[in-house]
Formats: sequence, structure tokens, C-alpha cells
Amino acid sequence: MHDELICRCEEVSREEIEKAIEDGAVTTNEVKRFTRAGMGLCQGRTCRRLVERILSEKTGIPLSEIQPSTYRQPVRPVRSDLIREHKENKSEGEVNDE
Amino acid sequence: MNLKKDVCVIGGGVMGLATAYYLLKSGKTVALLEKGEVGNGASSSCDDMILLQSKKPGIVLTLAMESLEMFKGLSDELGADIGFLTLGGMIIIEDEKQLKIMEDFVKKQVSYGLDVEIVGRDVLFKKQPHVARYMIASTYSPTDSQVNPMLLMRAFLRRGIDMGMDLFRYTPVEEISKSGDHWKVMGGNDVSVECDSIVIAAGAWSGQIGQLLGIDIPIRPIKGQIAITEQIAPIGETNCWTAAYIASKHDPSILPYKSEFDREIGLGFSFSRASEGNYLIGSTRENAGFDKTTNFKAISRILEQTRQYFPIMNKVNIIRTIAGFRPGTKDGSPIIGDIDGYPGLFIAAGHEGDGIALSPVTGKIVAEMVCGTGEHKRVEELNLRRFSNN
Repeated sequence: MHDELICRCEEVSREEIEKAIEDGAVTTNEVKRFTRAGMGLCQGRTCRRLVERILSEKTGIPLSEIQPSTYRQPVRPVRSDLIREHKENKSEGEVNDE
Repeated sequence: MNLKKDVCVIGGGVMGLATAYYLLKSGKTVALLEKGEVGNGASSSCDDMILLQSKKPGIVLTLAMESLEMFKGLSDELGADIGFLTLGGMIIIEDEKQLKIMEDFVKKQVSYGLDVEIVGRDVLFKKQPHVARYMIASTYSPTDSQVNPMLLMRAFLRRGIDMGMDLFRYTPVEEISKSGDHWKVMGGNDVSVECDSIVIAAGAWSGQIGQLLGIDIPIRPIKGQIAITEQIAPIGETNCWTAAYIASKHDPSILPYKSEFDREIGLGFSFSRASEGNYLIGSTRENAGFDKTTNFKAISRILEQTRQYFPIMNKVNIIRTIAGFRPGTKDGSPIIGDIDGYPGLFIAAGHEGDGIALSPVTGKIVAEMVCGTGEHKRVEELNLRRFSNN
């Protein structure tokens, strides 16, 4: 089962995630940075839980203590030409990325 | 937990990991303390450029050229893919005034041995078929390269662990004291490290480490916002910047900003395609303290510029925005070297947007200094003491 895809957006397999953990990743953000799992279009909507579970299995850290990886705006893809200030509606949306 | 090590490195970003690696390679034992996770600061909130053209002609450019040479063999040395790629780079020029500035800049860089030239519209449009047609010229350097910062950190981390590095995450440094002839670094989670030397590689947070010792390390966070696109095919042969970006980096007074808001956020333009195909489009240079939020208005301006310079980017999807704190100094050059009056204390920080590119050479130089084999003189102008006379 080692070739099963965990992150479908970035096509990251279980084996690649396990390798990143062997290389020293111990948090979900580090797994994300090292493998790109969760960095794709859906931002880990599908693979988040799976990555957390693999991390827990491999490191022995209880699942309940594993922090979710960072979410960033925009939460779904937005076309570049739609991201502009609209003259008739001048509200300035502040966007948090943490 | 109390450890005895030769060196304690403070900061688990690319600079700390690189320094730790070169120290370990020289036979030193190393503990690395990181206040969060690996790469939580600027090292994972940046693009992937080893851009020589943006470097200030002088020691920084010389170091960048050395670093590039090191990168060429680094993948083999570390035994890992680090996404190193050489595609060249171009700085696009909008008008005669910018052309004049870039001609002077290029001339200086060439005198330091950089392979860079000004090219006309024919070469520009051939290499960048989608650039706006009003551009009048461009610079071109075949040597500009890129490296994946995440894979680079991973490779340094892996090799560091293999060589016995002890890494403590979520361990902010709380106290540094001298006990006898060695240092004692107290971190969170009851971690303490007794060591002969300390390397401060804490990026934008280095000033806070300095405060623990009463040392003024004038590094401030410069916030840079970046928009990231979906993965697409390359739209040009090289990555691109604008002359306005180069000017804003070195002397904002040369070229006026288009609006008060642009000036306030220090708007520039950098346009690079990461190895996986996402374009990273930036950026800003903001005085915003440690506020890590991305801001709709700034991102809108970044994308407005993108549509102006590369109209084809109109319909591309933006999948993410990020902000990072580039560790900035007053003169735009990093602080590398020992600290007067504190034997055994070293600093490797303040690289602003050049940290990834300069990490191997900085790590190597600082490791040599710690080992007492380094040539301090060569990088003397980057020593912290340059700020003490002002």
C-alpha cells in the first residue's frame, strides 16, 4: 500500500510523507513544507487528516496533540482579474492568513 | 535537560540549519534551538530565487556569486534533491529613466565579475513573449538560478541529524549567560545548553536575542506579501523583476512610486516560477512589525501590476497568499561575524530577501569563524560593529 496517494492535488504518496518524517519532520507544517502535501488547490482539505494520522503513527505523538497545518487565504482558487478593488464598493477586506 | 555542546545555534530557518551543517562538518557538536517549527520565519515565506542581479555590487554580490558556486555541488554533497535550477533572469525596463539607472547598475555589477547585460526589445520579446509590449529593454543574466527553500532546509536538517545535531523545537531562548569560560543558553521547556560558542541566526527575531544580552542588533522585520498561482506552463524563458523593484531595494529615492499607497507598502515586482510550476508573485516591503496577515489591498496592487506587465496572467488562478518577515538592516546588507566584547558570540542574520541565496556561503563563513580558521577580514564590512559608530 506504499504507493497510495495521500495528497491528490500535489500527488504525494504515503511513502514520500514517511520519508519526510524520517528526514526529520515532526509537525504537519514541516511535512507540508518538505513534501508539498496540502499545498495544492484544495489546501489539504482531503489529506490533512491522513497526514496527521501518518505523522502520529510514525512519531508516536498522540493524534490529539498534533496541530493542524496553517490555512491561508484565499481558501479556494480565485481568478487573478477578480482580485481588484471595486470602485463602487470600497470596503477593504482584511485577510488573515494565520 | 542540560546539554554540553561546542556550539548552540539559535534559529531553525535556512541560515541556522546551514550554519549548523557546516559546523557539524567541521567536527563541532551542535544544539539548535528554534522557537517554533523548522522554517517558520522568512525561510518558508519567500520565493526560491538565487538572484545575483539584485545584489548590491560589493561584498554581498561577491558572496552571492560564491554561494551560487556552492549550490552547484550542494545537491550531491547533501545527497538530496534541492530543486536547484539555472534559467537566468531578466529585469524589465519600462522607460528611458529606468534604462539609465539599470545601465549604471549593470556596469557596476559587471565590474564585480557578474555575467549580465542590457538587451533590446528583440531579445526581450523572444525570451518573454508575453511581456507587455511597451517595455523598452531588459537586463539579462544567464546565471540567475533558483533553489527550493523547503527542500534545502530539509536536506540541511537531514544531514544535521545524521551528524548528531540536537534540534529543539518550540524552544524560545529565554536567557543567555556566561558561566566561567563558556556560555549557557536557557530555552523554554527546561532546555539548557552549555557551549563554547553561540550563533544567532534568528532572522527578523535576532534583535530580541540581542536584547537578552544587552546588545543592539539593528534588524527589523520587513513584511513581504506574495501571491501564488496555480501550476501552469512557463510563460517565458526566465524569471523577471522590474527596474522599479531593484531601485526600491537599494535606493527608493531614485524612482518615485506611482502612489502614496505604493510607497507605504514598498511595492515592487518579482515574478518567478517555482520548480513545480506555481508562479510566486511579489512583493511588498512593509514596516508592519510582526503582523503576519496578508492584506487584500496590497495583494490587489501586486496583481494589478502583474496584469499590466504580463497581460496573459489575467485569468490565472491565485491559490494562496503568504507574508513573511525579511530580516532587514539599515544598509541592506547582512550582519555576519563575531561580536565585540562577547568572545564566542557570532551572528548570521539580516539577509533581508537574500537569505536563501546566501545561506550556504554564510553558514560556511560563520562555521569557519567559530572554528577559528576563518578569514574575518574578508567580511569585516558586514560585522555588527559598523552600526555602533552611527
